[in-house]
Amino acid sequence: MEVLYYTLLGLGASFCAYRAMISKHLLPSTLYLAGVSALVTVTLYLLGAHEVAVIELSVGAGLVTVLLVYALSVVGEDVIDRTSIIPKPLAFLIVAGIGGLVIWMAYPLAIQPDANGEVLLANVLWKHRALDVWVQIALIFSGVMGVLGLLSEKVNPQGQETQAHEIHASSEEHGIAMNCQAIQIEQELPV
Amino acid sequence: MILTPLNAVLLGVVLLLVVGFYGLLITRNLIKIVLVLQILVKAVVIALVLGGKASGNLGLGQSLAATVIVADTVVAVVALALAVQVRRRVGTLDLAKLSSLRG
Amino acid sequence: MAAILIGFVIGLPWLGAIVLWRTRDENPRLQHTMAVAFSIAAGVASLALIPFASAETAISVPMGRYFGDLTFTADGLTVTLTAIACVIGSLAVVFSVEYMHGEQQLRRYYSFVLLFIGAMTGLLLSGNLLFMFFFWEITALCSYALISFYNDDPKAVAGGIKALIITQVGGVGLLAGALTTYASLGSYQVSDLLAKAGTIPVGLLTVIAFGFLLAAAAKSAQFPFHTWLPDAMEAPTPISALIHAATMVNAGVYLLARFYPAFKSVPAWTMSVMVIGLLSALISAISALIATDLKRTLAYSTVSQLGYMVYAIGAGGVFASQFHLLSHAVFKALLFLAAGSVIHSVGTRDMRRMGGLGGKMPFVRNVFIIGALALAGVPILNGFWSKELILEVGLEDSPFWAYALMLFGAGLTAFYTFRMVWLVFFGPERDHLHVHSAGSAMKVSLGILAAGTFITWLLFGGLNGLLSSTLPFHELEHETLLEMITAISSAPATWLALLVVALGVGISWVRARGFQLFGGGWLSPLVETSFGFDSLNRIIAEGVSKLAGQLSLTQTGVLSWNVVGILGAFLAVLIFLVWSV
Repeated sequence: MEVLYYTLLGLGASFCAYRAMISKHLLPSTLYLAGVSALVTVTLYLLGAHEVAVIELSVGAGLVTVLLVYALSVVGEDVIDRTSIIPKPLAFLIVAGIGGLVIWMAYPLAIQPDANGEVLLANVLWKHRALDVWVQIALIFSGVMGVLGLLSEKVNPQGQETQAHEIHASSEEHGIAMNCQAIQIEQELPV
Repeated sequence: MILTPLNAVLLGVVLLLVVGFYGLLITRNLIKIVLVLQILVKAVVIALVLGGKASGNLGLGQSLAATVIVADTVVAVVALALAVQVRRRVGTLDLAKLSSLRG
Repeated sequence: MAAILIGFVIGLPWLGAIVLWRTRDENPRLQHTMAVAFSIAAGVASLALIPFASAETAISVPMGRYFGDLTFTADGLTVTLTAIACVIGSLAVVFSVEYMHGEQQLRRYYSFVLLFIGAMTGLLLSGNLLFMFFFWEITALCSYALISFYNDDPKAVAGGIKALIITQVGGVGLLAGALTTYASLGSYQVSDLLAKAGTIPVGLLTVIAFGFLLAAAAKSAQFPFHTWLPDAMEAPTPISALIHAATMVNAGVYLLARFYPAFKSVPAWTMSVMVIGLLSALISAISALIATDLKRTLAYSTVSQLGYMVYAIGAGGVFASQFHLLSHAVFKALLFLAAGSVIHSVGTRDMRRMGGLGGKMPFVRNVFIIGALALAGVPILNGFWSKELILEVGLEDSPFWAYALMLFGAGLTAFYTFRMVWLVFFGPERDHLHVHSAGSAMKVSLGILAAGTFITWLLFGGLNGLLSSTLPFHELEHETLLEMITAISSAPATWLALLVVALGVGISWVRARGFQLFGGGWLSPLVETSFGFDSLNRIIAEGVSKLAGQLSLTQTGVLSWNVVGILGAFLAVLIFLVWSV
């Protein structure tokens, strides 16, 4: 019975993910992503990871969806040519190769749940992996900075250099180079 | 392959990964890339919890999965902020036109 | 106590570097004073360390599982070289006070000099191979920064980059050796490698041995890496004296000497070491015969003398090589600093424009002649004793043809040395140059070094005792000064060598009275291209450039292709995994 549930959930999640990837406009993609998140949540719950299921639902279906919708509203829907840069057969080949090889390697496995060992998340998170908590705090801090970067444009819609400095100061490792490059190019755009 | 429940979950993970990788290769819109990355992250989360369950250490699996969710959400936030900036400064989100790092 | 002194010897120069970095260039007097103060403090600390030398580890700081322990050991070999580095370092800094008077950006100069001194002593004192590599790289960085000090001059920058690239290639050898040691023994400790070298399988030990040889040859400008040292003479002369005569280039010789017991059983290693030393000694001696740039001649001479030291290690005379290292550091620094005085006052390095300067710069002429006598191997001065020791070791333990060639090299050394002396200080004035005598700061350094050339050989007994008692793996015999004097004075090899040296001096004196000193005819084009090695370097550099240019086609700048790269690599890894199972 469980096998059926998991299979259905897996297929459903993949189907939603495929639709998210394929769809023409970004808003339906976002909704399909929320769908994927919901199905993943159920899977996690069935696996027995209750706390992570909750986190996944609120973050994946909640926060990320809101974030994407907000970004879309700021940016607007563009009309972009949908033909991919990579020739499709090449992409298909690579992906099929990866999937096939992983299944080939996993073929002889017969995974069974093991009942020994530490089960409670609370114990592990706060005692054994306390360092992870500090890492997460640092990450959340940088995420807040990123959100500020997203929001700060709205303060002065004339698009002046001062915002550029704010963004520069607030973005973290991932994008400083790209920001500096982008800042060089001044363009007046209807936002 | 014997279809134990956890094997079925593994197949689901691989399927999500395959869809995600394909999307990563195919898509041309910067914001959609962020979206596809989120799909890949969800696959990873399930995989981590699956690993925890299979080795009996479910608490560890959950803890790692929680960290990964936090980390990748932050990545999504920063990436979206950058995408917005790129759209503002360069004017387009089309990957084919964003090649100033050429050579 | 040793631990505290080690801390001073490494920490004081680095502290000085940081302090000097914070000073302003508007206050040069403060900069000069602080630099001199820190370097003299380091010199005193290094001398104070000598009595405390022992084979035990002085400092040991655990650095986690992957790096091993950060250990510092002050045994005899280390302590001697540290003392040389710090004392000559402080003399070079004192000399710089006058040489760099009025120069811009002294802050950069002194910071890097002090950083270098600290890193060099760290390299010598380090007992952990990985941290030895770390200090090695810092010295390479400082060398580059100081060679390119006059960074408006493209030749200086080119020289610095050449030095950096060649010594980095050597650094790869050291790193490979260190990592292989860790893989075989599970430890980065030098003492472990020396103790357990016999347990490492021969193939791996060969990798380690030749990796270290590569690093040593590149750092000490030995064949085939001898091309960077002559070009590094664009550096300010105190730097040439410090880094490229007395300290950094000795790091390679130190490496070979330190690990000789571990590698002597590796097939072909000792012969390779000997041949490399031999070729370097001869090639650069020949190049020095027709060089026209004063510092370049001294650079060739340095490569040649280092070749003698390397040859001695190959023949098994580790102590002889270290003794010659001590003598060489003193007289070569003396020669460089004296040459620096000359260059500073006349403004050119070209010997063809000098001549007859001896009358106007008597002090410099005298100390230069003392240094030249030591270099040529004239009795009583320290160069004589150490060179004879090397030649004796060569006669006993190396093939006869090698010994004969080294003997010939000694003659060449005498010849080009006195050619240099005559060209600069005697004979007619070939150009109208403004000459002024050396100032007091310069005279102090020069005087101390000149006195050193008379004295350092007397330390033979103490040095021998120090090394033989604190180096458990090297199995050195204990000899006293008196034994050494009688042995050398009575050996036939000595008289043979003296004859050759006298011949060299005589011929140079006779021919110098004539001309035909420049343009050695058929030799000239060979030496211009460093016997073909410069063109080899150029071919390699151009080839890499072209390859990089072609590979840049893969950088399309489009994200999708980067993703293809990532996923393609992942696929390749999976294929490899499936295949290997």
